[in-house]
Amino acid sequence: MVSTLEPPVSALPGPRRADALIAIDHVDFYYGATQALHDITLGIEAKKVTAFIGPSGCGKSTLLRCLNRMNDLIDGTRVGRGTITIRGVDIHRPDVDVIELRKRIGMVFQKSNPFPKSIYENITYGLRLQGLKDKARLDEIVEKSLRGAALWEEVKDRLHTSGLGLSGGQQQRLCIARAIAVEPEVILMDEPCSALDPVATAKIEELIQELRARFTIVIVTHNMQQAARCSDQTAFFYLGRLIEYADTRDIFTKPANPQTEAYVSGRFG
Amino acid sequence: MPSDFAVAKRRLRLLGLTGDDAIKAFFGGNALVSVVVLLLITIFLFREGVGFFGQNRQNLAIYRQAGLEYVEFIRAQQADHIALTRSLADLRLRYLTCLTEERQMTLAAANEALAGFDDYAGKFSDTVEPLRGLATELTEMATAIKTKFLVTQDQKEARRQLLAEGKSAEAAKVKIDEVDFATELKPLVGTLPVYRDLNREFARRLVEVAAAAPALPTADLRDRMTRLQQHVRDYVAGFPAIETRLAKWDHRRPVPWWESFTAFVFGRAWLTASFWQDWYGILPLLAGSVLVSMVALMIAVPLGVGAAVYVNQIAGVREQKFIKPGIEFIAAFPSVVLGFFGIAVLGQILRAVSQLPGLSWVPGFPYSERLNVLTAGCLLALIAVPTIFTLAEDALNNVPRAFKEASFALGASRLQTITRIVVPASLSGIVSAVLLGLGRVIGETMVVLLCAGNRIAIPDFSSGLGVVTQPVHTMTGIIAQEMGEVVRGSIHYRALFVVGLVLFLLSLAINYAAQTIVRRYRISIG
Ligand SMILES: Nc1ncnc2c1ncn2[C@@H]1O[C@H](COP(=O)(O)OP(=O)(O)OP(=O)(O)O)[C@@H](O)[C@H]1O
Ligand SMILES: [Mg+2]
Repeated sequence: MVSTLEPPVSALPGPRRADALIAIDHVDFYYGATQALHDITLGIEAKKVTAFIGPSGCGKSTLLRCLNRMNDLIDGTRVGRGTITIRGVDIHRPDVDVIELRKRIGMVFQKSNPFPKSIYENITYGLRLQGLKDKARLDEIVEKSLRGAALWEEVKDRLHTSGLGLSGGQQQRLCIARAIAVEPEVILMDEPCSALDPVATAKIEELIQELRARFTIVIVTHNMQQAARCSDQTAFFYLGRLIEYADTRDIFTKPANPQTEAYVSGRFG
Repeated sequence: MPSDFAVAKRRLRLLGLTGDDAIKAFFGGNALVSVVVLLLITIFLFREGVGFFGQNRQNLAIYRQAGLEYVEFIRAQQADHIALTRSLADLRLRYLTCLTEERQMTLAAANEALAGFDDYAGKFSDTVEPLRGLATELTEMATAIKTKFLVTQDQKEARRQLLAEGKSAEAAKVKIDEVDFATELKPLVGTLPVYRDLNREFARRLVEVAAAAPALPTADLRDRMTRLQQHVRDYVAGFPAIETRLAKWDHRRPVPWWESFTAFVFGRAWLTASFWQDWYGILPLLAGSVLVSMVALMIAVPLGVGAAVYVNQIAGVREQKFIKPGIEFIAAFPSVVLGFFGIAVLGQILRAVSQLPGLSWVPGFPYSERLNVLTAGCLLALIAVPTIFTLAEDALNNVPRAFKEASFALGASRLQTITRIVVPASLSGIVSAVLLGLGRVIGETMVVLLCAGNRIAIPDFSSGLGVVTQPVHTMTGIIAQEMGEVVRGSIHYRALFVVGLVLFLLSLAINYAAQTIVRRYRISIG
């Protein structure tokens, strides 16, 4: 029954897996003995915003965290079958340096998590890890990243105060600035606005619109309007399976699958 | 209509208390008891200790009034000469080693070759004889005055007691021989002209003898001899100052109240049951305690914190299950067992290691005292490790997972995440863990009593880090050792209480600092 829900890859409205920046190919994922993802196949296009939607527990975060191998940090997790390739390189290949991978794929978490350090140190953290020490260059990148995250004007006079002293929305933008400071190709965002008020949420959404020119963005969200407003493609998951993946406009106006239709119109989930 | 509430209210009552009240009273009572007990102990410590300062002032006053202070100037002069003689003996030893090892002489031949030197050393040490004679004589005189005064004190005490018991007739019969210090001291102070003559002769003779040093074979020895002669000149140059001090000395000069305090806090000697004069200076004990604790921390901090980081950040679940209880198990060793182990095993091993020829470059090595700061410090470290480990592990555990994830997501390695995020974020907790470890160590008694060597003297810091190979005594050790044999209420008894008080305040300060650090610098997670 499920297999019929899954159209062949070539039929997907998004790019073919072959020319996608990130290609997820028949991936099964396990937490210990429990399988959290079943046979996921989808391609994520460069310089586009891709939204993951679906009811709680359907595996959105799990899939997102597979992309930069954050799941490696949890004991007992494994990809049972299938491959994830980025620019044609399988990220689970033994010669792939996971540290290098994570530098190229930034991540913004659901709950803002600036380090208990100054704003400046938060942003330069990733750069210093890479061995950058030149003060002038660091200053320059800090300003550029903060401007990129639409935070510069608010914090330029307090760069050396603690990042924990900012408001929730500012903290989340700081985390985005921190992620873009290392110039990744892809930014993964796991419900970046779920803890924010509407004004702060609007700011972040605006920011996403600006960032899409420079980065490939994958965003998990529970907010249907947000997905509709921000994304180019939308993937709908249910119980660890990809139900439908299409242009955002199509998902919200003429979904192919009745479950998708039910979910986006708010009748379940 | 009766409401349901009214029915529910009929509860079991005991002595007019409901169950809730009883539980409240029980827990409240327990808290109260602990607070009251703590308070009583503190008050007791203070009450027993505070009397010390009055008694010590009395002690110092007798020291002056009976002329002991006067005689001490001359005794010190004599002691300084003995120190010079000792360095001469040290020089002889080097000379002998030089002859036997570098010149390949037999011991007998070498000793023969040293005859000239021995003659010189003999003359050198004999120069002090006249002074020694005078010092002995004066010592006896001063001690006699002091004894006389103490007898008077005893008589007064006896009379006071009789009066307190209402036996006034018998009290009147107790004879009291009042001591008039001025008359008693006259003959003692009267020796000053004799001393002056004697001293001049001593200085002349010493300079003369010292100058006639025998020729020495190596540059190093000659160098040492030159330095020794310089010391002799400095020594002699100090004589006039001693004479003026003696001339100016006055037994009537009062002992200010703070002197008994400074004599305790800055006193460099802890000397009890001495025929001459008792000193209650805490410095040697404090130095011993601090030194032993520092050595213990030096070992325990890397071990405890390192193990905590490993277990919390790196080890797998199975390793954790094995290591954590293992380390915490160390705390189960009774400290007397550790002390026993220190005497029987560790002290021997460390000494043997120190005597390995390859290790003689280590400061303080080789050494012969089996029980010393190092031995005690190593064992105390073992006691501190579980405390530091457990608390530091807690602190690391409290670092939110989100920080670590953010760091990893930015491409940090595990080591980078530990050193740049996890440890800094939990630093306040780690520091307070170390402080509490210190508190644990500084209060530990059995191990130091058994293993620190119990020599009451400020360790000689001139050998740098090698100081850790010297035996010391500690504040806890001295209380445990001496409290059993002192007379209740005596100055010695009270002095021990003051030491206990210092220990108590020190632990209190350490604990307070630990708590403040945790409270002040705890990261607020936004
Ligand atoms: N660390 C973990 N260990 C075991 N199972 C997990 C773990 N994390 C998630 N899961 C399980 O995997 C499934 C997918 O979880 P995931 O967090 O990916 O869902 P989600 O779609 O992100 O949900 P939400 O919208 O609530 O964040 C769930 O059934 C969850 O219980
Ligand atoms: Mg999630």
